[in-house]
Amino acid sequence: MAPSRAVTGLHDVELAALAAAGDRAAFGELVRRHGSAVRGLLRRMGAQASTADDIAQDAFLTAFERIAEFRGEGAFAAWVKRIAARLYVRRWRKDSRMTEEVEADDEGHGGEISAARRIDLDEAMKSLSEQERLCVSLCYGAGLSHAEAAETIGAPLGTVKSHVKRGLDKLRLRLAPAEGAGRDAERQGHV
Amino acid sequence: MSDLEFETRLDRLFAEPPYFEDAEGFARKVESRLERGWSIRRLFIGAAGVVAGLFGASQLMGAGIFLKAAGVEASEQASMAGKVWHQVVSASSNMGALPVSPEVLWMTAALGVTALGFAITRATQEF
Repeated sequence: MAPSRAVTGLHDVELAALAAAGDRAAFGELVRRHGSAVRGLLRRMGAQASTADDIAQDAFLTAFERIAEFRGEGAFAAWVKRIAARLYVRRWRKDSRMTEEVEADDEGHGGEISAARRIDLDEAMKSLSEQERLCVSLCYGAGLSHAEAAETIGAPLGTVKSHVKRGLDKLRLRLAPAEGAGRDAERQGHV
Repeated sequence: MSDLEFETRLDRLFAEPPYFEDAEGFARKVESRLERGWSIRRLFIGAAGVVAGLFGASQLMGAGIFLKAAGVEASEQASMAGKVWHQVVSASSNMGALPVSPEVLWMTAALGVTALGFAITRATQEF
């Protein structure tokens, strides 16, 4: 079903209000606008592609059911991302993987990073352990506070903070060369 | 790069949605699941309406209102307009014999008509 012209020009809050009145075309437009962001977040959290898509679909269906709760105080995308992140964590906890203390296998991703190679966030996220990925994604991707992330995954606040810190340190290392490469390319472009 | 700068950059990176070639397909899947759920719900509401309607009709039959109305109709054919009016009025007063008051009956009928109006409006929006 292609989006109708009437809904494509509307703001998210207006679309949400229409969806709350039962307009499924308006909600479809919201899915078109924010589907990729939600799917991307779930993959960055560590979900496999098919699992991420399943959870993203469930998140949107849940969002439609609860659309009346969305009052437009924040961004619609952030609201759905939170729903999706919580759904993923619930599934992740069900899989009982929370207890596993699996450290990231840095060697598997290539220890040395070429400065010329651009490493995007998705690649960089792969260098994090499962817990670090989850905590960093919850805090920076889904916009949860450390305390909310701790509550969501059922871990102590201190644990979440240390996972976030370790994750950020690793990301900083991984993302820094890309920035240098960008500057190098820019410099070469000017010559 | 300071911590704050790095975190701002990270926020920005996270805010950029990745590109998916099947983005349209994903949206369609969500819409079709939404549609399926809606159809089931509609079917459920329709079935509940039919059951409620049958129950209401059986209650009215049990109360004998149709027989009384038929009686009024038969005499209507044989009488003059004024006489008919008189009969209708007397039929209305006969409603006092029903287990519910005539006001409740009329209100129920009005609500039924309103519900039918809503249903038709909804159906025209859906199809």
